[in-house]
Amino acid sequence: MLRDISGMTAPTIILVEDDPPLRTLTARALQEHGYQVRPASSGPEMWVAFDAGPVDLVVLDVMLPGTNGIDLCRQIRRKSDVPIIFISAKGSETDRIVGLELGADDYLPKPFGARELIARIRAILRRAGLERGPDEQRESEARFEGWSVSFPRRELRSPTGAVVDLTGAEFDLLGSFLSHPQRVIARERLIELSRTRMGDSSDRSIDVLVSRLRRKLTTDDRAAPITTVRGVGYMFNAEVERA
Amino acid sequence: MRGSLGLVGRIFAILLLTLSLEFAVGTLIYERASHFSLQDDEARRLAEHLVIARKLVSEQPREERRTMAIQLTTDRYDVHWTPQSPPPPPLAPELQRMRGQILDWEPSLARSALWLRLSSPGRHSEISGGLRLTDGSWLYFGTHVSANRWEFTIGRMGLALIPVLALLVIGGILIRRTLAPLRDLTRATERIGLSDQVKVAEGGTNDIRDLIRAFNAMQDRIHRLITERTETLAAVGHDLRTPLARLRLRLDAVEDDAARNALAGDLDEMGAMIDSLLAFLGGEKDPEPKVRSDLAVMIATLVDAFEDQGKDVAYAGPDHLELPLRPLSLRRAIGNLIENALHYGHRARLSLAREGDRAVIRVEDDGAGIPPERMRDVLKPFARLDSARQRNTRGLGLGLAIVDRAVEREGGALTLSNRAEGGLRVEISLPL
Repeated sequence: MLRDISGMTAPTIILVEDDPPLRTLTARALQEHGYQVRPASSGPEMWVAFDAGPVDLVVLDVMLPGTNGIDLCRQIRRKSDVPIIFISAKGSETDRIVGLELGADDYLPKPFGARELIARIRAILRRAGLERGPDEQRESEARFEGWSVSFPRRELRSPTGAVVDLTGAEFDLLGSFLSHPQRVIARERLIELSRTRMGDSSDRSIDVLVSRLRRKLTTDDRAAPITTVRGVGYMFNAEVERA
Repeated sequence: MRGSLGLVGRIFAILLLTLSLEFAVGTLIYERASHFSLQDDEARRLAEHLVIARKLVSEQPREERRTMAIQLTTDRYDVHWTPQSPPPPPLAPELQRMRGQILDWEPSLARSALWLRLSSPGRHSEISGGLRLTDGSWLYFGTHVSANRWEFTIGRMGLALIPVLALLVIGGILIRRTLAPLRDLTRATERIGLSDQVKVAEGGTNDIRDLIRAFNAMQDRIHRLITERTETLAAVGHDLRTPLARLRLRLDAVEDDAARNALAGDLDEMGAMIDSLLAFLGGEKDPEPKVRSDLAVMIATLVDAFEDQGKDVAYAGPDHLELPLRPLSLRRAIGNLIENALHYGHRARLSLAREGDRAVIRVEDDGAGIPPERMRDVLKPFARLDSARQRNTRGLGLGLAIVDRAVEREGGALTLSNRAEGGLRVEISLPL
């Protein structure tokens, strides 16, 4: 495999996992895909690894002896914006939401395969490289026509406050629309944008995704603010408020 | 100290109280019934009539007296005069009261040796009697006045029934109050194991307090046992995920494609089993909060996901229907139903409708359905329809048990039925 970010060195990943065989196996899988890995078995070891040089991403087990992953994540966020992926054997929704709200970038339940982990890492690194420009803040909330979107929770709420289920791909698509409101987005660009997000690549064509998203955003009083621009792509024609 | 009598003592005391009350009231009524009495105005009228008759008859010469007596006879009173008569019969004790009533009005009648006699030819009694005039002759009288003898059996029974009913009500209320803590205990016992621990408040008599205390202690022990087991199972489930993760990563080292795919399938199945076990156990602790959610979108999203895998799944219903629910557990429940439908049949049809104050989800398949006598069994955890099918059944047989629990937590109802056209229909009805 080649490096994800065109550039000088291979991205460096700190892997915090207390189970020695799993740590070795994961580290090996990451190395095989061209990443530099600094393994750590606990919080203190992780801080040592941070001191060893610049870090591009942290893979953090939630359940660790001593300080747990959630607390470590909180501590990291006080100092740095480095992308964090949680891995957890618990896989409960509460954990996932707590992790994402604390500023983790993704949450991967155990057991995961190497391919899945690599895909998530790649997506997050690309996103970090693409989107997080010097002045761009980590997005957290957006509103349009009464709908509200929480990026950390990856959650859409209707104007009446109900949670509306979106698949990962649908959420990414909505995210792409929200960052380019009232502009025509070409289909190809939309595919590219959506894929760089969670790495939740969908086999469905972008048109199916758009039609599903449109159905979910259509209410009794109002049609979804997504217009088809024939032969070109789509346009999100609603005012977007970001917080 | 309150309630030191004990349950038996308390009930005995209540019985004693009611019985003695009933005895006292009953005796009083019987006593009254054995005396004959007249209405007050009747007694006065009779007394006045007798005084006047005595005066008028006495004033007449002896030969005129009989005629005068006849003249004094009215519709109400018969009056006769006789020069002499045998001595009056002794006064029956039950007529004492009536005599007293008459004498209360005209005490002078006592001087005339008033005597009374009762004859009861029919339903009404007739009172007759006599007065001795000063010269020793007698004035007889008879009256059609019905003495107020409580003879009318139905009326008497009715009257006797009133205190009995009152006592029944009082006794009932007292016993109910005494046994109220027992009722609470019974209710708590019915709910044990269904939901969170229900602490029964200690109250009532000593022995009931002891019983409640013992029950609460037992409940503690049961809950501790359940919690320990649940936590152990959940911990095992969580812990299994780490070696599973190792296996998954080691899989890449397997050169043989077919073997790798087969192993990956096995790992998926083990992962799914652990997931369903944890979902089943998860209902006990760490309860998911209710969140206002769009149920229609939830179903549509699930259906889309199955469609994307090339499955014959379709949804018919509104685009939106919002209600408060626990999205995670309900999503899993509906997912389980779709998987079941596809496992036992080839297609799944989902619908959602608002029916009155309920939202009704229906999942229908074209499989063989469930024999009616097995309908209840399939909701039990680890249940499988038939042992021959076990081979190709994935998971632990927790699918419908998880659905059942999830629906119960929502306060909804789960109904399984065989469709007339074949296949199973599962209906989830949720309060809006």
